[in-house]
Amino acid sequence: MDNRPSRHRLVRIRSSRCEPPGQRRLLIREIGGALVRIGLLTEGGYPYVSGDARLWCDRLVRGLEQHEFDIYALSRSEHQEDEGWVPLPPQVDRVITAPLWTAEDDGVVYGRRARRRFAESYGELAAALCEGGVGEASGTGSVGSVGSTGSAKGSGEASGVEADRFASALYGLAELARDEGGLVGALRSETAVRALERACRAPGARQTAREARVPDLLAVAAHLERALRPLSLDWYEDDGLGAVDVCHAASGGPAALPGLLAHHFCGVPLLVTEYGVRLRTHYLADSDSPPAVRALLAAFHGRLATETYRRAAVVTPGNTHARRWQERCGADREKIRTVYPGMEAGHFAEVGESAECVDPDTLVWVGRVEPAKDLISLLHAFAEIRKEEPKTRLRIVGAPSGPEGAAYLGHCKALAAQLFPDEAEGLHAVGDNPVSFEEIGGPELPSAADAYGSGAVTVLSSVVEGFPISLVEAMFCARATVSTDVGAVVEVIGGTGLVVPPRNPKALAEACLTLLRDPERRERLGAAARARALELFTVEQNIAAFHGIYLDIVSRTPVRRVVLDGTGEPLPFAAPAEAHVPGRWTERSTRVVARGGPGWAAGPPVCATPPFAATEGAPG
Amino acid sequence: MSDTDTTGALGEREAAEAGGELGEDEVSDVGRELGEDEVSSAGRELGEREVSSAGAELGEREVSGAAGELGNPDAPADASPDSAERPERAAPASAGQAVPEADASTPPAPTPRAPEIATGRTSTSTTSSARRSAADPVKALMHRHRELCERAVDPLEIAAGLEAHGVTDRTAVRFRHRDVFSLAEEMYARIPRDGETPPSPAVDRTPRPRAAWALLTLLPGVLCAATVAGIRLTDGRSRLVTALVGALVISFAVRAALSRGPLGAPVRARTTTPSTWTYWLLAYAALGDGLLGAAVTGGPDALPTGAADAPWPVATAPLLALTLSCAPAAWAAHLFRARARRKLTASRGLEDFAASVRPLLLGTFALYLCALTALLALTAAALDEPAPYAQTLTLGALLFLARLLTTHGFTHAPVVVLIAATTAQATALATTFASRLPGCAFLATPVNALVDLWGAAGIQTLSCGIGALALLIHATRKLTRASAHAQEEPC
Repeated sequence: MDNRPSRHRLVRIRSSRCEPPGQRRLLIREIGGALVRIGLLTEGGYPYVSGDARLWCDRLVRGLEQHEFDIYALSRSEHQEDEGWVPLPPQVDRVITAPLWTAEDDGVVYGRRARRRFAESYGELAAALCEGGVGEASGTGSVGSVGSTGSAKGSGEASGVEADRFASALYGLAELARDEGGLVGALRSETAVRALERACRAPGARQTAREARVPDLLAVAAHLERALRPLSLDWYEDDGLGAVDVCHAASGGPAALPGLLAHHFCGVPLLVTEYGVRLRTHYLADSDSPPAVRALLAAFHGRLATETYRRAAVVTPGNTHARRWQERCGADREKIRTVYPGMEAGHFAEVGESAECVDPDTLVWVGRVEPAKDLISLLHAFAEIRKEEPKTRLRIVGAPSGPEGAAYLGHCKALAAQLFPDEAEGLHAVGDNPVSFEEIGGPELPSAADAYGSGAVTVLSSVVEGFPISLVEAMFCARATVSTDVGAVVEVIGGTGLVVPPRNPKALAEACLTLLRDPERRERLGAAARARALELFTVEQNIAAFHGIYLDIVSRTPVRRVVLDGTGEPLPFAAPAEAHVPGRWTERSTRVVARGGPGWAAGPPVCATPPFAATEGAPG
Repeated sequence: MSDTDTTGALGEREAAEAGGELGEDEVSDVGRELGEDEVSSAGRELGEREVSSAGAELGEREVSGAAGELGNPDAPADASPDSAERPERAAPASAGQAVPEADASTPPAPTPRAPEIATGRTSTSTTSSARRSAADPVKALMHRHRELCERAVDPLEIAAGLEAHGVTDRTAVRFRHRDVFSLAEEMYARIPRDGETPPSPAVDRTPRPRAAWALLTLLPGVLCAATVAGIRLTDGRSRLVTALVGALVISFAVRAALSRGPLGAPVRARTTTPSTWTYWLLAYAALGDGLLGAAVTGGPDALPTGAADAPWPVATAPLLALTLSCAPAAWAAHLFRARARRKLTASRGLEDFAASVRPLLLGTFALYLCALTALLALTAAALDEPAPYAQTLTLGALLFLARLLTTHGFTHAPVVVLIAATTAQATALATTFASRLPGCAFLATPVNALVDLWGAAGIQTLSCGIGALALLIHATRKLTRASAHAQEEPC
């Protein structure tokens, strides 16, 4: 086949955009470049202005302009839909949305056969949820000893069978919804409640499920109906999710469900990215329901997560913490690749590069003020520091989040005033407090970078933390950091900062003092931190990683489609073999490199160019 | 409580450190903690084959770290040059994608390379806290997170809760566990479970009777009474205007009364306002019998005058009674809903529930009929009209059941039955008039037979009675289902 660049230049890829979707597919295949069409699945997320992971998705979509994106978005509330979308770049082909917050009953009443099909599938689903869970089986077996190998293996096998059962029930329901429709009404019907009751009363059901009362059954049925709404969508056709090369679920849970079904119906590989584990969020969010409801729903979400991880081609957690949860829920280690979230390094370049620091005796804390940040312990630590180093100052920069945060901020201010009374120099001088509470955007601190730059040491005192963004920002600013050992802090900081146990003001104070007294070490740690952050946490590395994963998935699991010609006959060799070659070897990459743009756009991206060059050259 | 714990432990540790010496027992303690414990737990996890390598590696790493700290009490300062040099080497490994093989074979150590201070501090505090509650540290932890443990439905929930309270894998090591998950598993297994958990106090979310809908349900009756009075007091053209305006206003009032409260349709079936069929049935109740009676005998010769003894008599008493019965209907529906909710929370199974709701449904139905009978007797006495009990009660039953079913989301059957009743009545009228055409006299035979048998009221009684019976049977099947009483939750 003629693969000369000149041959390829004749066909403009972009021009295919103005044609209807059916024909566009054909053109892309004919070109032979590894252009990937990505179905981005979000739930309450990206294209919506108030979406969850919208910044990250936006960067991803904008960063991979050589690929095509179809966005399939599930909205979480009417309010969210009313707020509209963020502006979308041209590589977004189409946006298809569906509401999760409401479901129209399409009025289809099942006939006898369909009703039996539904009852069977739903009964299977209910039985899979009510069966003695993995945790229950292994938990009762081993008291005191850490899960011995035997019981772990046994429960592993059991969970495998259960997962199969759950999966077959799920796909059974999905097929029913595809063939007949009317799933919304059926999931609310008495048949569903009866199936749930039967499963709960069946021998071998877990203890908590056996105690389920009628209101619990109704609550579970209602919740399942809500959770299974994606099954009724019409996305799983050849012109919908069937037409994409990779499904990329931007979070687990409901967003991954369409991806699972696309994998089931059309064989589209699924990539699941989780920056926060949905299952864990579910555990933390669900509070007031009775135990039976919580047990069944937890089982549902757990099984769904397991099934998602099993079917996914690649699972990308955002940090080791998420990774542990995913492994725990049955994700295969070979599938897991940690992709750290990317952050704009450009804002911090100036502060990070400049050698001198404004005030060598200042500690800075940046973040949203809320009780989980444990500013109280920071203030106590600062009191210790002041005893040793009286010249030290502490700047607390951040706005309170919510009414709780505001109350907490007031509490902290009161404590600060109590611990450190204003120190006036003379009779008429205004007193000065060593602790100052500020917000970004004021005249003194126009940007976050200035906040970090104003101090010598950045402190993080949280007791609970996910992925510590403020810590990464401090690293970008080349600041030495002292942080508490929570969440992903240790894996973020690596060896480039000091880490102390949480809720331990004395340890915090000691670590801060060590750094305050040692400017040389501060500088060394800061430089190392900046180098580490530039290597791991830039937007570019994030995008490059996903680029590589897309191509990798496409090359490993190509979607084999029979392309039909105009008369409806199958077109042999319509999808040439090199359609799946990872990397682009046509003119596009050379052009990008010649322009001196980001090196990750060219070829096999991960190891082609040193990330440093890419980062430094990257605009804003 | 946790704060005091930590600071207490700290105080002890700091005191030891301030002394500048780490006693002999602590050295051995640290060694034992980090070496043996890690090795053994790792070995247990990995199985026989990998014990030696993984155990050796872990033990070596951790012990050397501990030893480094022991040799130089100022460990942080010592560690920094090393850490400053290491990131390039450490970073790819911690990215977790460059070396999947290595990752798969080594046990999941909390982090690729724990920072020096963290290891030092944790291990030291391990000794102190272990010494304080050496026997069972997990028990203390369970006591601290008692609430979390009691409500947990599986180990992962405890794990999530623990992590939300700041427990990390490195903290879990203090409890001689590999990670938070295995710690949570132990805690979950050790929760005392004494058989039946007490049923959680049911949240009584029964809607309280509201003044708004209580007043609204009175409105149609009041307006109807006013209209009837108007018709009685006026005559000629103004009577016609009064009747028309009255009908219009009453229909609005009925619509308003049925739009909210216990007679309002649920959100998911918002399409069903009182239909044309209902109005037809009401109109027939007022005018139909008179018309039919007149038609059978060759009339009617004049428009109705509103008097009961005119050639085309108008029955205002049933109309007034039915509109007045909006209020008892609303109360009965409210009662049914509230009681059914209570039964729902009290019953253990679906069969139980169905068995307990059936008498409730029939009782509610009977209550409404009683109220309607009383109202009819009152209005008939007040208006000085004969009280057509059979027709009015069957019609009232039909409309009440239809509304009750609609409010619980079953909209299909009521509409079908109402249409059937309407059609029957319309057919009776149509055939009577059509029989006057030449050669079509046979059309009136069934109607005439019925009228001969039961009088002109027979048609209405029969059509509404059969419809009401059908709906009653339908309701006893559908409204005794638990899914009919599922609460609409805002999601």
